[in-house]
Amino acid sequence: MATEQATGGSPRRTARWLDDRTRLGPVLAAMLHVRIPMTARTFYFGGIALFLFGIQVVTGTLLALYYKPTPEAAYESVQFITSDVSFGWLIRSLHHWAANLMILFVVLHLLRVFFQAAYKFPREVTWVVGCGLLLLTLGFGFTGYLLPWDQRAYWATVVGTEIAGGVPVIGDSLLLLLRGGSDVSGATMSRFFGIHVLVLPLALGGLLAAHLVLVHQLGLANPKKPEPRVRTAEADDEPLRPFFPHYILDEVVAWYVLLAVLVVLASLYPAGLEEPANILDAGHPKPEWYYLAVYEMLKFLPKDIGILAPIVGLGVVIVWPFLDRSPEVLARRRKVVVGGATLIVLALVFLTWRGYVA
Amino acid sequence: MEPAPVPAADATVTRHSRRRFLRWLGGLTVVSTIAMVTTPILGFLVPAKSGRTAAGGKTLVGTTADIPPGGGKVVAMGSTPAIVVNTEQGLRAYSAICTHLGCVVAWNDLIGAIQCPCHDGRFNPASGAVISGPPPAPLPPLNVSVEGDQIFLSEA
Repeated sequence: MATEQATGGSPRRTARWLDDRTRLGPVLAAMLHVRIPMTARTFYFGGIALFLFGIQVVTGTLLALYYKPTPEAAYESVQFITSDVSFGWLIRSLHHWAANLMILFVVLHLLRVFFQAAYKFPREVTWVVGCGLLLLTLGFGFTGYLLPWDQRAYWATVVGTEIAGGVPVIGDSLLLLLRGGSDVSGATMSRFFGIHVLVLPLALGGLLAAHLVLVHQLGLANPKKPEPRVRTAEADDEPLRPFFPHYILDEVVAWYVLLAVLVVLASLYPAGLEEPANILDAGHPKPEWYYLAVYEMLKFLPKDIGILAPIVGLGVVIVWPFLDRSPEVLARRRKVVVGGATLIVLALVFLTWRGYVA
Repeated sequence: MEPAPVPAADATVTRHSRRRFLRWLGGLTVVSTIAMVTTPILGFLVPAKSGRTAAGGKTLVGTTADIPPGGGKVVAMGSTPAIVVNTEQGLRAYSAICTHLGCVVAWNDLIGAIQCPCHDGRFNPASGAVISGPPPAPLPPLNVSVEGDQIFLSEA
């Protein structure tokens, strides 16, 4: 009777009833009631990437209910999802576009953190974990791409795994492990499907939790001045705004805008499907846009260098907070770093564009 | 008989060496547990069969009418692609897997060469050698034999 009264009343009473039985109120309060510097400008990139991951979990789970991960049945099951299942085209297209946008926003988030020098003390570990999230997101793209088993999927995977096979010393073993044999086959599809729907979501969930805990504990960086090694009264006087409800409300508005953009993209440009994979005809294979720069680079550079360069580049990005020891955060006082990074980004955009129009 | 008292210094040594032994034992347990868990996992990930699934012996890939002089065609040799070209020196066959990034090459009538669609690598139809582009090695040759009007391929 008492329970009925508690649950049947106002939301506040329901919350109290739940809190009495979980004691999670203080945990929730600690999570929500933090303050962030007024000067912090995140552009909501990280939050949007998180939202897109949520969309991928939901749409991916739905697609897995109909998808059949074998070379004989995969193509037809994707056709079935697109043509026969109610809202199948929408769910598949949302998954396709959210995947692309997730990579875009993770990269934008990384660039924002880089140019605002938010990776410096005390956020070095947060940066490294974030780089891990970027790699996992790229892994999602790579493994998911094969699953429709059409011409584009098959040949992009042949080229992608061949590039992995070109890594010095471990290349041959890596190729064998990725493909589950010497060729891209049903064994590759089983592996990619298992990695895509089990390994990567679990890994990304774990790293994401670590990333969010670190962001919560350390707070958002002030892009105007470095974090003091020792807290002073001046540092404590910094103007702050509450995370909840002020910041989170802006974030949710950004999510709604993105959801609208996603639905428009999925409706106007639904995910396509080429001819079924044919091992005798490569057509004109191209990887997805986020691998095009590497693909194009391999046209001009010797294979070893073209494969090693992005690996070394990624390694440098991951350990960058430990290489850049200067406490300076203002871009105008970090001209060499900001200028160099801008040039590299422009070069990658140029290579991607060249690969796209080639 | 009463046991002889142990000197204080020796007791410290015993305590320290016991602690060190227990730490060593704990470390060994962690390392051996990791090894015990990862060995079967890594072993499981290595594919059981690693050879290409090419057909053994000779494979019938078509007739001479399919490949006129100055022409070429990609054919299936088991589950792997091969390319047969009809050159002035006669029929030649190569693996159709580009030595650059594994794309399947094709015959291009316009340029009279074997061409890779991925990065425009080109190969000499008579020798399989690289003419231009990024491929680091020639196309591996295959044996061609003609019986009647039937073309057979086998590993070189």
